[in-house]
Amino acid sequence: MAPKRFLQTICLCTLLCAFPASAAEKVYIYNWTEYIPDTVLRQFTAETGIEVIYTTYDSNETMYAKLKLVDDDGYDLVVPSTYYVNKMGREDMLVALDHELLPHLGDLDPNLMDRPFDPGNVYSIPYMWGSTGIGVNSNEILPETIDSWQDLWKPEFKGRLLLQDDMREVFHMALKIKGYSSNSRDPEQIEQAYQLLRELMPNVLLFNSDSPRLPYLAGEVSIGMIWNGEAWMAQQENPAIVYIYPQEGAAFWVDSFVIPKGARNIENAHAFIDFMLRPEIAKICVEENGYATPVLGAIALLDEEVRSSPVIFPAARIVENGEFQTDVGEALPIYQQYWEKLRTGQ
Amino acid sequence: MNAVRLIYFTLIFGYLYLPIIVLIINSFNANRYGLSWDGFTLQWFPAMLANAGLMEAAKNSLAVAFSAATAATLLGALAAIGFRLYRFAGRRILQGTLMTLMMAPDIILAIALLVLFVMLGVSLGFWSLLLAHITFCLPFTTMTIVARLQGFNPFLLDAARDLGASESQVLGRIVLPLLSPALIASWLLAFTLSLDDVIVSSFVTGPSFDVLPLKIFSMVKVGVKPEVNALSTLMVALSLVLVIISQLLLKEKEHGA
Amino acid sequence: MKSRTRTLIIALIGFWLVVFGVLPILLLLFASFLGQDPEAFFELSFSLDAYRQLVDPGYLRVLLRSIWLAVLTTVFCLIIGYPFAWLTARLNRRTRMLVLILLMIPFWTNSLVRTYAIRMVLGTQGLLNTLLLHLGIIDTPIRLLYTDTAVVLGLFYLMLPFMILPLYATMEKFDFRLVEAARDLGAGFPATFRSIVWPLTLPGVLAGCIMVFVPTMGLFYVASLLGGARQLLVGNLIHQQFLNARNWPLGSATSVALIIIMALMLCVYWLFMRNLALRSHQP
Repeated sequence: MAPKRFLQTICLCTLLCAFPASAAEKVYIYNWTEYIPDTVLRQFTAETGIEVIYTTYDSNETMYAKLKLVDDDGYDLVVPSTYYVNKMGREDMLVALDHELLPHLGDLDPNLMDRPFDPGNVYSIPYMWGSTGIGVNSNEILPETIDSWQDLWKPEFKGRLLLQDDMREVFHMALKIKGYSSNSRDPEQIEQAYQLLRELMPNVLLFNSDSPRLPYLAGEVSIGMIWNGEAWMAQQENPAIVYIYPQEGAAFWVDSFVIPKGARNIENAHAFIDFMLRPEIAKICVEENGYATPVLGAIALLDEEVRSSPVIFPAARIVENGEFQTDVGEALPIYQQYWEKLRTGQ
Repeated sequence: MNAVRLIYFTLIFGYLYLPIIVLIINSFNANRYGLSWDGFTLQWFPAMLANAGLMEAAKNSLAVAFSAATAATLLGALAAIGFRLYRFAGRRILQGTLMTLMMAPDIILAIALLVLFVMLGVSLGFWSLLLAHITFCLPFTTMTIVARLQGFNPFLLDAARDLGASESQVLGRIVLPLLSPALIASWLLAFTLSLDDVIVSSFVTGPSFDVLPLKIFSMVKVGVKPEVNALSTLMVALSLVLVIISQLLLKEKEHGA
Repeated sequence: MKSRTRTLIIALIGFWLVVFGVLPILLLLFASFLGQDPEAFFELSFSLDAYRQLVDPGYLRVLLRSIWLAVLTTVFCLIIGYPFAWLTARLNRRTRMLVLILLMIPFWTNSLVRTYAIRMVLGTQGLLNTLLLHLGIIDTPIRLLYTDTAVVLGLFYLMLPFMILPLYATMEKFDFRLVEAARDLGAGFPATFRSIVWPLTLPGVLAGCIMVFVPTMGLFYVASLLGGARQLLVGNLIHQQFLNARNWPLGSATSVALIIIMALMLCVYWLFMRNLALRSHQP
């Protein structure tokens, strides 16, 4: 009789599992890996009763492909970089935001609002901004010897580099070395950058844009690209990790909250955005993630040590020397085609 | 000869088990990154339970594995009965299809089903994942049950039919009871396959339905996670239990025979 | 005799296999002949672009390298698995069961978890390097993680049982007296192996190779967890085309190539087995 009892139990369990508990208020968030602290998510749920279903991606391309795949029953909130905000807006993939539902909107840095990629912030609200520079483990490599993107091409770094798995940032290095704008739309210049990057490939050990700090911390790599926030987080655990702004100019970017078409919980998504714009919440995000926030009220709340960190808040001349990512319009497929080749190792 | 054999077996089993042992030890290690032994701790188990996303994914995975294993076992039993006990046109073609499904790499089935779902407009989530898992478990459950039917005397069924039993009575009263150990074994196999699957899940599920393998994958891509170590230890323990159950069933079968 | 239950069973099985088995593969073939659209996954027009990209020397080289990696894994599994299966088959019944169970336990354990576990062993500060440094065998950590070697080691780790089990199944039936007879007749080990053992275990070898080689090419997560900067396996290429680059026709064409390779291998196996059957039926 034992097998029969066993089968009965299974059938019962199946029935129980097939009918999950009734749906509470939810919000489906699709975000970069480790970009919102867990404590913040928990606090949001505790305050509003809205459950957060949180999944992550490691590149704009993956996010975009996934959104295309799940048109009608999809995410409520994603966080693309500026040029994808522009692209997705153009392709009618985004829901226009209701600014009435975002009372904290007035407190944002005017320099980051109403930018050409989304005039009037119809679709997007900036979440954080930061830079991509060079990370060095000073126990292994003297930081003084590294000051430019060009240094990554040195033959001594064969098979040792970490690069971001991010098309625009990788092309940024090569375009900058060649003296071009990193938002170049000129196929000729992009091709030259591609040729330069091909020469870099033997030096590359791995691509990682999930959490580039971890290979540094685990001793797998001691030099490569890194985001400033990741470098900041790495320094909390190992002060030997140094963040360097290359002399050709670091890549600067802004990531923004957008609501994709097909979102089912649009109001909850607005509630979440507004929650994230609260100064005390934005403050936690800066402290934990190490990126700069557009929420002006949060900056005032920060400890002096955090506020004066050149890793999180670079000096004006460093920002000027770098370049903010903007839309490249019809040149995007050209980048993609070369990126594809680099990534497959052609 | 014996010494050589012993050394060889030790080396191979060492290689097969060492990583698992390291993993289990690290799930009790106070050091977050498992780089050195910082003392015994149980803290990662509550940490794992407190990780809402991980628990949600575990619940979803169990739901799919339970349902898929049950459906694939039932369907597999029907397929085994159909293939072994009935003769009908197209039987060989269907059997060939089933064998091809078994041999094809998971990734082929995964993208083929993805294309199917997208073209038919099925939204990706619980149902698409369930259908996919039933399909990729089906060949394995069918084969397990067919093996049990191999030594089966078809005259027994004819006798029952001659005595006036309807086909459903024949199946319900004679075939299914005979099959029950095989049913359980194939259920366990399908359950494990479904819970283990990364490849098919990463293509055919959607935002509303995150499952354990995908969650673990996105967590470990990043680096060592103590919660994942704790979870893995539990999963190893679970699979040990499953192996023991299936071995006991085999024993029972041998005794019965 | 034709009861309703019977018809229902056959219809249900037929329906399932056609809708979820045959139809999707046909759609995949169909998708590989579609045009490409930068804003969607494909464009509904006939095009051979995907196949043109498939045979582009650059892409083809990546494809061939990943097939090569699967071949390497298979050969490695065979070299290690063959003596293992042989030794197992010669054990007494009780120990043999124990060995087989020990071999099966990892198979029942989540493969992702095991791949992750390997990572802990192979890392720069992982167990292996720590041990070797400690013993003074090396003085700087060796680079294993994020290399092709790590990927092959990981694939070998996951696939070894699939090589051993079919090998063991043929060797279990092997008549070991043949070896003794050959030895009594003065044949040395190489001759005995070449003319008796190898031919008689060849069905198991072929089955094992297929069981290892075919799934290996699809295990993209092993390459993403253990491998470095390059897309290593065919599975990674397909994954990339479907979920990142959104070039479904190329992804489908790559899978069609994979299906063709698999079909060829099954043909070889089938021809071999038929040959064997024919030969053994000859008087």
